[in-house]
Amino acid sequence: MIANLIVGGLAAGCLYAMVGIAIVIVLNITDIANFAQGEMAMVTTFFAYWLLDSVGLTWWEAVPIAIFFGLVQGIVIQQVVIRPLIGSPVLSAIIATLGLNIVLNSVAGLIWGHQTYTFPSPFAFSAPFMIGTVPISVDSVVNITAGLAIVIAMTCFLRFTWIGLGLRAASQNPTVARMMGVSISRSSAIAWGLGGLVGGISGILVAPSLFLDTNLMGALLIKAFAGGVLGGLHSLIGVFLGCLALGVAENLVGAYVSPAFGEAITFIIIIAVLVVRPEGVFGRVRVRKV
Amino acid sequence: MTVATDIARPRRSLSFGAGALLLGLCFAAACAAPFVLNGYGLYVLTLTGVFALVALGLNLLTGYAGQISLCHAAFFGVGAYATAILTQKAGVPYLLSILAGALFTAAVGAIVAVPAMRLRSLYLAIATLGFGVVLQKIIFEWRSLTNGGGGLALSPPAIAGYELGASGLYFLTLAFVMLGLWGAWNVSRGRTGRALLIVKESEIAAGALGIPAARFKVIAFAISAFYAAVGGGLFAYLVRYIHPENFSVGLSIAFLSMVVIGGLGTIGGSIVGAAFYVIIPELLRGIKDAPGLVFGLLLVIVMVLMPQGLWGLVRRLGRRT
Amino acid sequence: MARLAVENVSVSFGGIHALRDVSFDLESGAIVGLIGPNGAGKSTLLNCISGITRPTGGRVRLDGVVLSTLPPATVAGRGIGRVFQHPELVVELSVRENLMIACHRSLGYGLISELLKLPNVWAAERAAARRVDEVLDRLGLSESADLTIRNLPYGHRKLVDLGRALLMDIRFLLLDEPIAGLNESEVAKLRDLLLRVRRELGLGILVVEHNMPFVSGLCDRLVVLDLGHLIANGPPAKVLRDPKVMASYLGEDA
Repeated sequence: MIANLIVGGLAAGCLYAMVGIAIVIVLNITDIANFAQGEMAMVTTFFAYWLLDSVGLTWWEAVPIAIFFGLVQGIVIQQVVIRPLIGSPVLSAIIATLGLNIVLNSVAGLIWGHQTYTFPSPFAFSAPFMIGTVPISVDSVVNITAGLAIVIAMTCFLRFTWIGLGLRAASQNPTVARMMGVSISRSSAIAWGLGGLVGGISGILVAPSLFLDTNLMGALLIKAFAGGVLGGLHSLIGVFLGCLALGVAENLVGAYVSPAFGEAITFIIIIAVLVVRPEGVFGRVRVRKV
Repeated sequence: MTVATDIARPRRSLSFGAGALLLGLCFAAACAAPFVLNGYGLYVLTLTGVFALVALGLNLLTGYAGQISLCHAAFFGVGAYATAILTQKAGVPYLLSILAGALFTAAVGAIVAVPAMRLRSLYLAIATLGFGVVLQKIIFEWRSLTNGGGGLALSPPAIAGYELGASGLYFLTLAFVMLGLWGAWNVSRGRTGRALLIVKESEIAAGALGIPAARFKVIAFAISAFYAAVGGGLFAYLVRYIHPENFSVGLSIAFLSMVVIGGLGTIGGSIVGAAFYVIIPELLRGIKDAPGLVFGLLLVIVMVLMPQGLWGLVRRLGRRT
Repeated sequence: MARLAVENVSVSFGGIHALRDVSFDLESGAIVGLIGPNGAGKSTLLNCISGITRPTGGRVRLDGVVLSTLPPATVAGRGIGRVFQHPELVVELSVRENLMIACHRSLGYGLISELLKLPNVWAAERAAARRVDEVLDRLGLSESADLTIRNLPYGHRKLVDLGRALLMDIRFLLLDEPIAGLNESEVAKLRDLLLRVRRELGLGILVVEHNMPFVSGLCDRLVVLDLGHLIANGPPAKVLRDPKVMASYLGEDA
C-alpha cells in the first residue's frame, strides 16, 4: 500500500518536475517567473493532438514534431512579449506572464473549444511492471524515466555544452557575459525555447491520464511552482527533488491524514518553508547591498 | 522591484474644477441608472461596483505598497461567506454582518501578511497563491458552516425590516463605493499612503525614515482584505447563491488584471479597471473566450507599453487637450 | 548634549571580519569624518549604527541606551538620521511630497482618522507642510518644491534626501559619501549647509567620504578604519600625518 503511494507520488512528482524544470531554466536565465509555462505546454499538447487526430500521424511521428513546436513557440513568445520586458521590474514581468497565461488559454478555447479529448498513449494497455510484490503502472515508469532523463539531460546541457555555458554566464553576470560575446537576448530566447520544449513533453505525458482540455495544465503549473519553492527555484536538482517530495507528500497526506486537505496541507508546508527559508530549502540567499 | 506608476498630478488650479464637475456628472448618472436600466443592466452595474471595491483595496496593496496578491478572491470569498453566515444563521443585521465580516477578513489578511513581511515578488506571489488555495479549501470543507460544495442559497437582503430590491442593493453598493473611494483617496494622500510608497521604493530607505516596512505591509494587506470583504458581502446578496468555486485563483488573477489594466497606483484606475472587466464580456457576449483574450492581451500590453494603465492613458489624453 | 557611543563593535559575515572591536564617540555638535580605503568597513559601521546590520560583538549606545538591538525604524525614531550614498526617493512624487514622507513620525494621527480625514488630520498635515516649507527654504529648494523627482538633477536629489533626515527631529546624522556625483558649487553649498545645521540644530554628524580636502576642511575629527580595525582617531591634521594611516592608503594605491 505505502509503496504504491510512494511510486504514484514519484510519478506525479516527475510531471510537476518537468514543468518546474521548464520554469527554473527560464527563471534563472532571464529572471522572469513564467506563469504561462503551463498554458504553453497545453497549447503544445493540443498541437500534438491535432497532428494525431486531424493530420493522422502516428504517436511516434506526432510527438517529436509537437515537441519541436514547443521549442519554436517558446522562442516566438520570447521575441514578441518578453524581449521588451527585459530589465523591467520583476512584478511587471510576473503580471505580463499571467496575462500571457490568460491569452493562451483563451486562444486554445477559441480553437479547440471546451470539451475534453482523450489523448492516446502508446503505453496505455501494457501490463504493469512488478517490483517485488508492488505493481507499477507503465505510465508511472514512463513519467519517472522521462523526468529523470530530462533533469539529467538539462543539467549536462547547461554544464558541458558551449550554449549551456553561455546561458549560465548570462544568468550569473550579464555584464561580463556580454563582454565575453554572449548575447543576452539570444540566451533569453534559447531559455524560453528550452522551457517550451520541456513543458511540451510534460503536457504530452500528462494528457493521457487526465483527459485533454484547456485547463489541463493549470493545477500542474501551481504544483510546479510549489515544488520549486520547496526545493529552491535556483537549481534544477533542487526543483526536481522538491517536486518529487511534493508528489509523494500529497499522496501520503491524502491517504493517511485527510483526503480532502491533501492539497491544502502541501500549501501550508510550502508557506511554512517560505516563512522559515524564503529562498527555498536548497536556495541561496541573495544579499542586497545598500 | 517597483512598478512604474505615475502619480504626478496635473496642475490643480486648472483641473480641479473640471474634475469635480466630471465626478458630479458620474455621480448623477450613477444615481439615475436604476430608473433607466433594465434588471440585467442594473445587475451588471452593481457587479461593477462590487469589483470596484475589491480593486480599490488591491490597488492600495499592489499599486502603492508594491505587494502582489494572488489570494484576493479568497478574501472576497471569506467576506461573502462571513456576511452570509452571520445574516442567515446568526440573524445579525445585514449592514452589521458586512462590517463584522470585513473586520474578520482584515484579520485574516493580516495573518497572510506575516510571510509577506519577508518575501518579495515571485515568492510572495506563490505564498499568496498558496493562501488562496488553503482558504478556498477551508470554505469547501467546513461543511457545517458553509454547506461545502452544496453552496449557500440566500434569501433577499433586508435592512431594518425593509427588503432590499435590486435597486436597493445597487444604492447600497454605490454608497459603499463612494465611501471606499473617499477612504482610499484619503489614505493614498495621507501618512499611510506615503509610507506605502516608500516601502515599495526601498524598505531600507523606509527604515531610515522611521517607517517600519513590515508593519505597513501588514496594514496594507489588512486594509486591502477589508475592501475585498465588503465587496464579498455585497456580492453574496447580489448573486444570492455562493459556492466555493466562485472564489478560485482565476478570480484573483482577474482582480489583479482589473487593477493593472485600470492603472496601478491610481485610485480612478481601480474603478475604470473594474468597469472594463465587467463590460467587455457584455460587449463580446456569445464568444466564450474573447473577453479572456482581450484581458490577457491588455495585461501584456499594459506591462510592456503603458505601465499606468487605461487611467494613465485617459489622463494623458486629457492633459493634451 | 547627547552622546553616541560605538563600543567594541565587531561584525563578521560567515568568517569574514568586516569590523573588529571598533570604539569611538560622537558628541552632538561635532562633525566626525569616517575614512579608510575601500572595504575598510565604513558602510558596515554606518549600517550597525542605524540598525540595518546587527553587530556580532559590542554595542552602539545613545546616551547610555543600547541602540544596536533595535530595528532600523526604531533607531531612526530615536533621532539617528541616515542619508544613503544613492538617494532612494519616490521618483513619481514631487519634492514636497517626498519630504512629507519623512514627517511620518511627527504626524500622530491614526489609520481610522486618516481614512475618514477627520479634523486632526487636516491640522497635522498643515503643520507638517509648514515644517517641509522651512526645510525646503533651508535647502534652497523652494523653487523646485513641486517638481517631480524624475525631473530633478542628481545633486538636488541628494539634497532632498538630506532634507528628509532633517525633518525627523534627529540628533545625529550619518552621511554616506554625500558629495559623490556633485559638482564644485554644489559641494560648497552642501558644506555650508552642514555647518549651518550643526550650528543651528546642534547635530552630531558622522560623514563617510573619500574626498580628503572636503573631509579635512569640514570635520573636527577623523576616524580611520582599515580592514575593520580602527587605526586612528583625532584631529585631521594629526591623523593625516599618522604613519599607519599613510601606510594603509599607500597600500591601497600600490
